[in-house]
Amino acid sequence: MKPLQTSPNPWPPPKNRRRQTTSSSFYLYAPSSPDFTFHLLVGEKNCAAPLPFLNKTPKMATCTVYPAPSLRSSCSFPGPAKTCLGFQQGQVIFLTSGRRSGRRGGRSSSEISCSAEAKTVVIGLAADSGCGKSTFMRRLTSVFGGAAEPPKGGNPDSNTLISDTTTVICLDDYHSLDRTGRKEKGVTALDPQANDFDLMYEQVKALKEGVTVDKPIYNHVTGLLDPPELIDPPKILVIEGLHPMFDARVRDLLDFSIYLDISNEVKFAWKIQRDMAERGHSLESIKASIEARKPDFDAYIDPQKQYADAVIEVLPTRLIPDDNEGKVLRVRLIMKEGVKHFSPVYLFDDGSTISWIPCGRKLTCSYPGIQFSYCPDTYYSNEVSVLEMDGQFDRLDELIYVESHLSNLSTKFYGEVTQQMLKHADFPGSNNGTGLFQTIIGLKIRDLYEQIVAERAAAAVEAAKV
Amino acid sequence: RRAVLAASAPSTPPDISDKVSESIKKAEEACSGDAVSGECAAAWDEVEELSAAASHARDKLKANSDPLENYCKDNPESDECRTYDN
Repeated sequence: MKPLQTSPNPWPPPKNRRRQTTSSSFYLYAPSSPDFTFHLLVGEKNCAAPLPFLNKTPKMATCTVYPAPSLRSSCSFPGPAKTCLGFQQGQVIFLTSGRRSGRRGGRSSSEISCSAEAKTVVIGLAADSGCGKSTFMRRLTSVFGGAAEPPKGGNPDSNTLISDTTTVICLDDYHSLDRTGRKEKGVTALDPQANDFDLMYEQVKALKEGVTVDKPIYNHVTGLLDPPELIDPPKILVIEGLHPMFDARVRDLLDFSIYLDISNEVKFAWKIQRDMAERGHSLESIKASIEARKPDFDAYIDPQKQYADAVIEVLPTRLIPDDNEGKVLRVRLIMKEGVKHFSPVYLFDDGSTISWIPCGRKLTCSYPGIQFSYCPDTYYSNEVSVLEMDGQFDRLDELIYVESHLSNLSTKFYGEVTQQMLKHADFPGSNNGTGLFQTIIGLKIRDLYEQIVAERAAAAVEAAKV
Repeated sequence: RRAVLAASAPSTPPDISDKVSESIKKAEEACSGDAVSGECAAAWDEVEELSAAASHARDKLKANSDPLENYCKDNPESDECRTYDN
């Protein structure tokens, strides 16, 4: 990587250089934040900047961002961190790519006209057991308001959660083999043989079309398939579990899909936290359990991430050398470009490669600090934007400072991300990137839902005219 | 260290806890012969499933651990529990 030239940064910048945005130098003005520094990385594909940011000399140029009391250029900067590209916060970009239209844009207006209101938006969440699916679900349902609760008066071991707008169903309910059945056949729950994808497809399709279904219940305590429960079509249906994107028919029903990708090191650390106090468990048993499930996980679960619209990767930190405690995390939010109704979040400037350490006068960080990165990248031959946060917050309310520098968050008011995070300060991951990115994805899903509903309503009006 | 952890967190309901330790024993037996067999993987998968169920049961207990909240659910009219919106 070639280091950027550090310019002496005269103010006002010389006229001939102001608009120059070649790779050798450019200016970024952020009027409301006069005194932070950021780093620019040029030509490096992987956002993950080399570690020695905090204590060694940075390898990249440091640009000081100027206060801009009056800027008489052709660009105006009404808010913080806006750049000359003309992107506005909250701007909705409708992108229709050929790749997608076959899959999701296939609904024609005539199809919608009759039941515009009734159709359900379906979201898929894939993750291994013990990887924070339930925390994510609680954050997601909280964005839509109202508490999610198990269906009243039914099976006490039901896995379903219902709130006013959202119904979350656990895909373990579509196990075709119960616990003894799997043992006899020698297959794990991760194996497709142990799951009934035909029933999964039929019922998700029916719910999407507004039909009530009789869904089986897999009882996690007894390991048996209990009598079914009635599920009414909600406004938003979330299917969470091991295989939401495994079967192509189910995958095509999803309006948005998320994959929680937890690295082996972090998975191990989390399971120790979860299980060590449990009688009978030991380091060996936790390790053996992860090892034994790994072949099936790699074969059937992990490949699903290539279909996900957003992937949250949780990795060990790079801020502390040789850290294996799994307490400080490096979390990457990988967002697919060109997805209908979903425009990725960006830091400072859409499409640039940026590394940013917010710690300083405005944000208190203790060791090991916080580092953000943002860059365009390729993920399974898809174009993606990657936003990364390494480290953790000491004081959650100072998150507003970070939030104010992120764009395209789909918030309804300034500070909504911070407010959502503060609401659930006791959830795991609230002081690091997992909570932040889960909250952001929650807001993105709300935005996607609202766009789809608005589009259907418009299509219905259109159809009524004809 | 383990005793402290167990005391500070709500403990798992004993029936699930027994099942977890039993399943670990069974898994260790199943894998003693052949460590890469399907039975071995299935046995450890059962351990994982039960550990997750145990952790969810603990979370549920933790959520219902406030004595005043629990009392107020049953006695919303008592002096300690009455709340008015305005």
